[in-house]
Amino acid sequence: MGNLTHKPELNQKKGKIGNLDSPKNPFDYSQREYGTVPLDDKRARFQWVSEVAYKNVHRIVSRGYDTTEVMEEGYGLVDMLFIDYQARIPTIEEEQMLNYVMIMALEDGLSGPAVMSRIVAQSKTFLTQACGASILAFGHAYGAYSAFGNRLERYLNQAETEGLSLAVTAERLVEENLHDEALGVSSLMLKDPAAKRMIVRAEKLGVAGKYVDFIKEIAKAAQAIIEQAIDLDMLGATGATMLDLGFSPEATWAILAVTRSFAAGAHYIEEIERDEYRRTGQILTPKDFYDGPEDRPVPPQKDRSKVAKSGICHTVEEWAQAREERKKVIGSGYSIVEEIEDPSKKSGIKKVGKL
Amino acid sequence: MDREPLIRRKTAISYKTEEKTVMRGYDLSELAEEGYSFCDALFVLYQNRIPTEAEEKMLKYEMGVFLEHSMSPSAVAAIGVSAGRPNLPCAVAAAVTTFGGVHGPGAAHGYMLNKYLERAKKEGKTVDEMAKTLVDEYMDAGKPVMGMGQPQHIDSDPRAEPIHLKQEELELEGVYLEFQRALEKHFHARRQKEGRSYVGVNVVGSGNTALMEIGFSPNAAWCLGSVCRGFSCAAHALFNMKKGRAWGASRNEPMVQMIDLSMIKYVGPDDRIVPKQEERQEAARKQKEEGEYKKWVI
Repeated sequence: MGNLTHKPELNQKKGKIGNLDSPKNPFDYSQREYGTVPLDDKRARFQWVSEVAYKNVHRIVSRGYDTTEVMEEGYGLVDMLFIDYQARIPTIEEEQMLNYVMIMALEDGLSGPAVMSRIVAQSKTFLTQACGASILAFGHAYGAYSAFGNRLERYLNQAETEGLSLAVTAERLVEENLHDEALGVSSLMLKDPAAKRMIVRAEKLGVAGKYVDFIKEIAKAAQAIIEQAIDLDMLGATGATMLDLGFSPEATWAILAVTRSFAAGAHYIEEIERDEYRRTGQILTPKDFYDGPEDRPVPPQKDRSKVAKSGICHTVEEWAQAREERKKVIGSGYSIVEEIEDPSKKSGIKKVGKL
Repeated sequence: MDREPLIRRKTAISYKTEEKTVMRGYDLSELAEEGYSFCDALFVLYQNRIPTEAEEKMLKYEMGVFLEHSMSPSAVAAIGVSAGRPNLPCAVAAAVTTFGGVHGPGAAHGYMLNKYLERAKKEGKTVDEMAKTLVDEYMDAGKPVMGMGQPQHIDSDPRAEPIHLKQEELELEGVYLEFQRALEKHFHARRQKEGRSYVGVNVVGSGNTALMEIGFSPNAAWCLGSVCRGFSCAAHALFNMKKGRAWGASRNEPMVQMIDLSMIKYVGPDDRIVPKQEERQEAARKQKEEGEYKKWVI
């Protein structure tokens, strides 16, 4: 049981504390109770609710299938992803396609996730810490499968409700999102056929569907209005294929980030095997890298009131002017605007970027 | 578009050019086109070799059976993080980082096996003799024998023995399985002799044995297990993000939520008055002298 209690004697002894007895407060702080809240016996007790899986002493069951029985029947890792995320057994072709996608997503050289893993490894951590860090590198530019997939779904919904053709919808999408990092079409894969080969494989296996059709139209639309050479990139090919395999944009994001994390483990190991741990204070930053204010003396405390500048803006005009000035302080955050919202149903950050 | 590397490192794992991405010498695209599986690719990544079909099957089985475990520390972490509605990778990263010295300690188990196998060679003992030495040394020291016991599957882990059996069925028995089986035999015998209850092998004990047998280092094996669990933890987080209540404290839900106020039980110091600043020094000195606070220090 909790011990939610009124303790007037404790409150009376305290007297005035800071601003807590200010009449501006919408409450009388001195009368607030101490103690924890009693157990709520009016509602059902807390339980971990899951549609995904349960276990008991003797079994682990995912979406109704005993996972040991699934393996004994000859299914494997990739099949389990369909079971966990889609509550179904995939066709053989779908299983083959996801294997293909995951091989392609496994390694990407010394890009963000590998670098994250290596930097964490330098601090002498557990491997799992580095692998976790690598997953954090997946955002709305690098590995932007959530942003990409949700956009495709949104525009395909528009096509359906407005009766638009795929080509017209693709043109609209490109016009409205031309410079977004998650377009799925860029100059990144002009010499590497991997993205196109993935689409060909999806078509050959018969698993390509409306998303693959749509990304091909998006590529055509983008090529028609951009002068520089561009084509389908790995984000576009992988994202569309995963959506056609039935994975949601968020599931795609998670599966591919975790897939890359297997390689992040190898990078962690190699970093330790080939290099040294870094100690606190070891790493230097050359002054050549620095372009902030010139070195200057710290003003003595007695001069503080003379040199200190207030940051308070009393009018909107002052605020707007100060904001412009603050943009010049690189690292202050004033040049970045984000709209952070609940990512439950779609990509978390609606708009990200420099002003 | 800046395509310069983020850091400069010599690496034997992979390279990426405008033309291709190459891992351990194999063009990834070629590997996928040739019909190799993701599990095959993991052998290439960690061991620089194409595995036999049996080895690939073993890895596929081990990772498949380990992937989902419903509510374990990793899934709970993912769900807990998702309550604040960050981006999904944050929940997945939290899940993977729960794997440590107790939850899925694959590397610890692997290092233990390697250490005692080295001793067997050095001391001229058989695998069976060294397994008994291991069990006795661990149990004499009151240390848990890695790979034995599971707090939820108290009868025997539903994944564990089937992994051993699959390894045998695939004819992948080697020194690790011999050692692990001997370890289990001596572990059970000693517990029985001491009148203690049966404690079965867990999924780390059997799964990690299989992974080591097919050539993965302790850390590589740990990566395969802990990261693999990230797949299912992401599903648990996603379910909660799409169909659950954010924050986990709503009083409007028919069931008490994960962090409802009534879920908090406090067992710390009694409610007390914050000392006035003018009394601070005296109060602080008194607390240090009395030393009562020490029992709360963590």
